[in-house]
Amino acid sequence: MKTFNLPDLGEGLPEAEIVTWHVQEGDEVVLDQPMLSVETAKAVVEVPSPFSGRVAKLYAGEGDIVETGKPLIDIDTGSGGSAATAAPASADQSPAEASAADSGTVVGSMPVSDEELIETAVAGGKRRRTAGRVKAAPAVRALAKKRGIDLADVPPTGRGDRVTREDVENFRPRPAVRKRTPVQLPPGEPVRLRGPRRAMAQSMGLSRDEVCACTIFDDADIHGWMPGQDITTRLLRAIVAGCQAEPALNGFYDGAAMTRQLESRVDIAIAVDTPDGLIVPVIRRVEQKSAEELRDDLDSIKTKTRARTVAPEEMKDFTFTLSNFGMMAGRYATPVVVPPTIAILGAGGVRHDVVPVLGGIETHRRIPLSLSFDHRCATGGEACRFLAGVIGDLQRTS
Amino acid sequence: MAKVTLIEAVTMALAHEMERDESVIVLGEDVGVNGGVFRATAGLQQRFGPDRVMDTPLAEAMIAGASIGMAAQGMKPVCEMQFMGFIYPAVDQMINHAGRMRHRTRGRLHCPMVLRAPFGGGIHAPEHHSESTEALFAHMPGIRVVIPSSPQRAYGLLLASIRDPDPVVFLEPKRIYRLQKQEVQDDGKAMPLDVCYTLREGDDVTLVTWGAMTFETLKAATAMAEEGISCEVIDLATISPLDLDTILESVEKTGRLVIVHEAARNCGVGAEIAAGVAEKGLYDLEAPIQRVTGYDTVMPLFRMEYQYLPSVRRIVDAAKATLED
Repeated sequence: MKTFNLPDLGEGLPEAEIVTWHVQEGDEVVLDQPMLSVETAKAVVEVPSPFSGRVAKLYAGEGDIVETGKPLIDIDTGSGGSAATAAPASADQSPAEASAADSGTVVGSMPVSDEELIETAVAGGKRRRTAGRVKAAPAVRALAKKRGIDLADVPPTGRGDRVTREDVENFRPRPAVRKRTPVQLPPGEPVRLRGPRRAMAQSMGLSRDEVCACTIFDDADIHGWMPGQDITTRLLRAIVAGCQAEPALNGFYDGAAMTRQLESRVDIAIAVDTPDGLIVPVIRRVEQKSAEELRDDLDSIKTKTRARTVAPEEMKDFTFTLSNFGMMAGRYATPVVVPPTIAILGAGGVRHDVVPVLGGIETHRRIPLSLSFDHRCATGGEACRFLAGVIGDLQRTS
Repeated sequence: MAKVTLIEAVTMALAHEMERDESVIVLGEDVGVNGGVFRATAGLQQRFGPDRVMDTPLAEAMIAGASIGMAAQGMKPVCEMQFMGFIYPAVDQMINHAGRMRHRTRGRLHCPMVLRAPFGGGIHAPEHHSESTEALFAHMPGIRVVIPSSPQRAYGLLLASIRDPDPVVFLEPKRIYRLQKQEVQDDGKAMPLDVCYTLREGDDVTLVTWGAMTFETLKAATAMAEEGISCEVIDLATISPLDLDTILESVEKTGRLVIVHEAARNCGVGAEIAAGVAEKGLYDLEAPIQRVTGYDTVMPLFRMEYQYLPSVRRIVDAAKATLED
């Protein structure tokens, strides 16, 4: 036996007047059959039967006013026995009866729970974090994937450290490296390299894998220099002199194809130390420039480096590298040859050395020099001729 | 400090601000004597009197229009639309006047009103009671759209909205009105508008959502965590103006984006977010942006309601689709 209470017919109306009963006690009713018409403050509404069965009892007659939630009709559904309870059996009950507190007068069934919300919410804004992931357009990613290239291996030359389509197309994977177990860092917070640091790690790794480097050390005696000479400008000029004495160190070597390409232009990359890492802006056609022009180029590099506006194009396509590292500390070094170039000159700190002169002893200013070259494509003799040319030019008084 | 539901937090914020600022008034249908059909304004008329908590006729255009007039003359009306489904007669007032007051008067007048409305589905309500058309207002310049997703943010963002000198449409997700309780201190501290809130940090995929869907989205994130997928969950909170920076930064970290909203798909707010990220974060994306949304149909009734609303399953599937690439 099921008791059906008068449901909330809309928006919390407290009562309704029965207009017409469409069924009588003893009638058989089917589910959804119109059972009675009631009039609320808003309208006359048909109430369909919520069950199929036999009408057992009507609780009110036509013209009576019934309160919402009070019993309206008993229907014997024949589903066997439990005594009719006042518990609402219809889905049309308003939740106002269900929960203890007064939760409003809305038709519907709002989920209610006492579950406590424990959350952390960080307001957005300007949090700058280094993400360290490779940036590339989706089309470029697809191309790399098709070629089986890991984007992280491709040096990016696009704006904002982006890997461009060209970068992927020109990428030559380095020869297979022997398998070794990766280094395990102790627990901590590793930060992925990006920008110049990443580029340097890739470039130096490539050099180690390919280049067979050899380094020759010597010194240039500059005690005879006229006052007011700029060391970097003289070094640049000296490199040009070295290239003229021995062209074999100015150019490119392709180890896979075993081809060598020597250049007449001398474009020198200058190693510059910045807070973000090592960058190598290039001074172009050094062989054609005067000392003033070279000085201007160097100043422009300094300004751009500070402003972080050195563009990727300004760091590409050089034939030789100069690393003037001596400002802080260091005399000689084994500078790393940057593939695909052939050689790199390192200049250490200018210092007064004690030198023997014609049976006597003097102190002279000298520049320590370290010339690394790729011995796969240049001979020791070529390297020494080159170095002799460098030293010879450096030792000129102006 | 009390543990309150979202609807109670709304009442708390209204009471606090009405106490603090005499110019704040409340108006709407059944808000005074009845205390609101959801009890959002319960007790306010008893406390502040019928001059400050007003029962209006059944006339949404008038409710909004009167609020605009009062706001332009120095009051701070917080009007209520009983359901978002009833807001449409007021849209003319909001778009043609509230959103333009500053522009039209060259800054001489402004319109510091708040229009509150319960929105969204999931409570088995009749037709018109489950609308989720926040995109309509997001599209209009001069109108701010704010949607809280927790009692704390309901409190803090409502205070901020009332104090803001320009119109705010404050949409309250009714499905989560009483779903959870949270410790909220009645200290009168507003929370910042115009920024997203990161609810969960993660590295593999960014999930952006708002309103009641934050509940399902956080559940999806928890489910995925058990499979080793780390999700970052961001609550938009302010729909318009959009804080794209927070989303871009997250996408820069994860490379993958899923947007979840219960509103219909076509031209929903998710489309604006997707376009913004495609424009400014394209080079960080590893996979196409996914949107998990309601369908492009009328919000269904009782039986189909939970088919329509994005489920945890649909959110998880979309997130996994971004990882398949």
